[in-house]
Amino acid sequence: MNFLEILQFIYNSLVFPGLLFASVIGLLYIGIDRKVTGHLQHRIGPPIWQEFLDFGKLMTKEDITPAAAIKPVFVGAPLLALGSLAAVMLLLPVASAQPSLRLTADIIVIIYLLNIPAISMILGGYSSGSPFAIAGAGRYIVQLLGYEFVFILSIATIAVKVGTLNLTDIISYQTANGWLLLDWKLLPAIVATLIAAQGKLLRAPFDIPEAETEIVAGPLTEYSGPKLAIWRTAYNVETIAVAALLVSLFLGGPTPYTFGNIQIPAIVDFLIKTFLIVMLTTVVRNIVARVRIDQALKFYWTFGVLLAVISMILVMVVP
Amino acid sequence: MTMVIPIGPQHPALKEPEYFRFEVKGEEIVDVDIYFGYAHRGIEETFARRNYKHNIYLSERICGICNICHSTCYSMAVERVAGIEPPERAKYVRSLILELERIHSHLLWLAVAAHQIGFDTLFMLAMRDREHVMDMREIISGGRVHSATNAIGGVRRDVTREQVPKLLENLDKVERSVNYYINLFQTDRTIRSRCEGVGVLTREDAIKLCAVGPVARASGVKTDIRVDDPYAAYPNLSFEVITETDGDVMAKGMVRLREMVESVKMVRQILKEMPNGPLRVPVDLKIPPNEAVQRVEAPRGELLYYIRSNGSEIPERVRVRTPTYASAPSLKPMFVGGTVAEIPIVLWSLDVCFACNDRVTLVDANTGKARVVTMEELRRWRS
Repeated sequence: MNFLEILQFIYNSLVFPGLLFASVIGLLYIGIDRKVTGHLQHRIGPPIWQEFLDFGKLMTKEDITPAAAIKPVFVGAPLLALGSLAAVMLLLPVASAQPSLRLTADIIVIIYLLNIPAISMILGGYSSGSPFAIAGAGRYIVQLLGYEFVFILSIATIAVKVGTLNLTDIISYQTANGWLLLDWKLLPAIVATLIAAQGKLLRAPFDIPEAETEIVAGPLTEYSGPKLAIWRTAYNVETIAVAALLVSLFLGGPTPYTFGNIQIPAIVDFLIKTFLIVMLTTVVRNIVARVRIDQALKFYWTFGVLLAVISMILVMVVP
Repeated sequence: MTMVIPIGPQHPALKEPEYFRFEVKGEEIVDVDIYFGYAHRGIEETFARRNYKHNIYLSERICGICNICHSTCYSMAVERVAGIEPPERAKYVRSLILELERIHSHLLWLAVAAHQIGFDTLFMLAMRDREHVMDMREIISGGRVHSATNAIGGVRRDVTREQVPKLLENLDKVERSVNYYINLFQTDRTIRSRCEGVGVLTREDAIKLCAVGPVARASGVKTDIRVDDPYAAYPNLSFEVITETDGDVMAKGMVRLREMVESVKMVRQILKEMPNGPLRVPVDLKIPPNEAVQRVEAPRGELLYYIRSNGSEIPERVRVRTPTYASAPSLKPMFVGGTVAEIPIVLWSLDVCFACNDRVTLVDANTGKARVVTMEELRRWRS
């Protein structure tokens, strides 16, 4: 690895498509999400750059670590979450079908890295010493066991269909054969993936770990100031990362195309497709009530798993 | 092993400061202790220091949501002590505003209940529709919340003929949205999964623990002061006492939602049948020694005022029993056996109003005995 490659790697992880790009897009998308939520709820809602203002305000606040907290875990958890998400962005195709970092079986690494934020939130909650945070972290573990199996099983179905664990290969398969969304055998699995993503992003009806009327803010109860700003950014980047993964899995990934005489670059295609996925989750979270944790687990392990298994059987049996 | 989850004195599930100490095993609630008194304001003592007219405004400020219930109940109690009868038209105006209050209180209940189960869109929509009722109250009394309509011996404000079309128009809007919410409550799967079968209060418990209002009616106890002890214009109005049998959160919600439909009908009837005549009769406020009890069906249940006069313009004693105070003991059977996730919605299914309800009792920490504080001691503490 020469000097230029190292420089390229640093640029990729810190600026594009890593930390800076993902954060800016993430904050913007969640800002739009809040605006759309406002309109769906018959109110005006905040301006779409509200998340940036919130971020700036939180960064200037006092940095508090509670006396009861285990300091290294409590401080390290948000950084670990954001770091792992910046790493995920390197593995996801953003500006073209090629991700910045190529691995043979990158789907496994992506699934693994997408779990780190959840686990660090659980650790942060347990280490903070607040009963609300501990209750929230306990709920998050249960929810993790619910959605993660559905998520992995559905992605495995897509991998079986295409016959590869490489995201770039899945995208090139879709370039040749059309979007996987249009394949009726995979449709149940794709619905299951979207349901799992709703739980992964802690959006209603699965915002159970941070149910504010029951356990304040769940694992994040004791977080404030810059640490909360990092958590918020991590959450926003997670939204983008999950949406990007879904785009690559069944919406054909970022592809350039010509519209009339105008050449539209792949990055615009990526932004449009991820935006659509984020808006879908926004609409869903505004038209349902929050379910209980036992109901959520039951829902995932019956309905979610059933959908994924049906799809898996269809893919394996139907030629 | 049980863990203690404190809800309160400051907690997002509570709109006012109170302390609930839950003992939980995992997610299951095994015991609950309720500590009231954080919002005590010494209102009953203040009643005995002001004259009858000033006390109308004081009674309105016991509760912001059901302020008309308090002032109506107080005014009627004073009228009963003084032995006077308000004019018929005043009774109709009182009933009209009382029913509008019931609608907006129940819509507020619906909004907060939706928020408690994480359905913020319904929260916003219910608050939006509540505005129509607030506008109606503003048309009649000039105040969206505190209307200051009651006076001793009648009412201070009239409903004119020009106001009626606008009131009926808003009423139609309210009726449409209430019917929509009833349909939504019965069909939405996420709402039903959160409300059905949780926070059950059996009929036996409701009777044993003296639950009042919608809480009792949801458990199948047919109690409504408007029928049991009619006041204002209610003897002349036709309405149905809504009851449900299940006693869970769903039943309590449905009782409130269906009561709103009845209230809308009642408001229409009042606007149609309101008799002409004077609004108030003059009263001599030097009321000879006497005592009286007056009850009113507030949106949350039975509200009780006891007044003792002593010949001066200042009452000797005023005692208020608010509906939350009567219903609070039923919280325990509703909580125990449930899960932590149910706490906010079960608590709110009672439509709790803490500031109205708080009392203070002095308990000696060493002996555990409660005692009464004399006026002298209280004065010494204040200075």
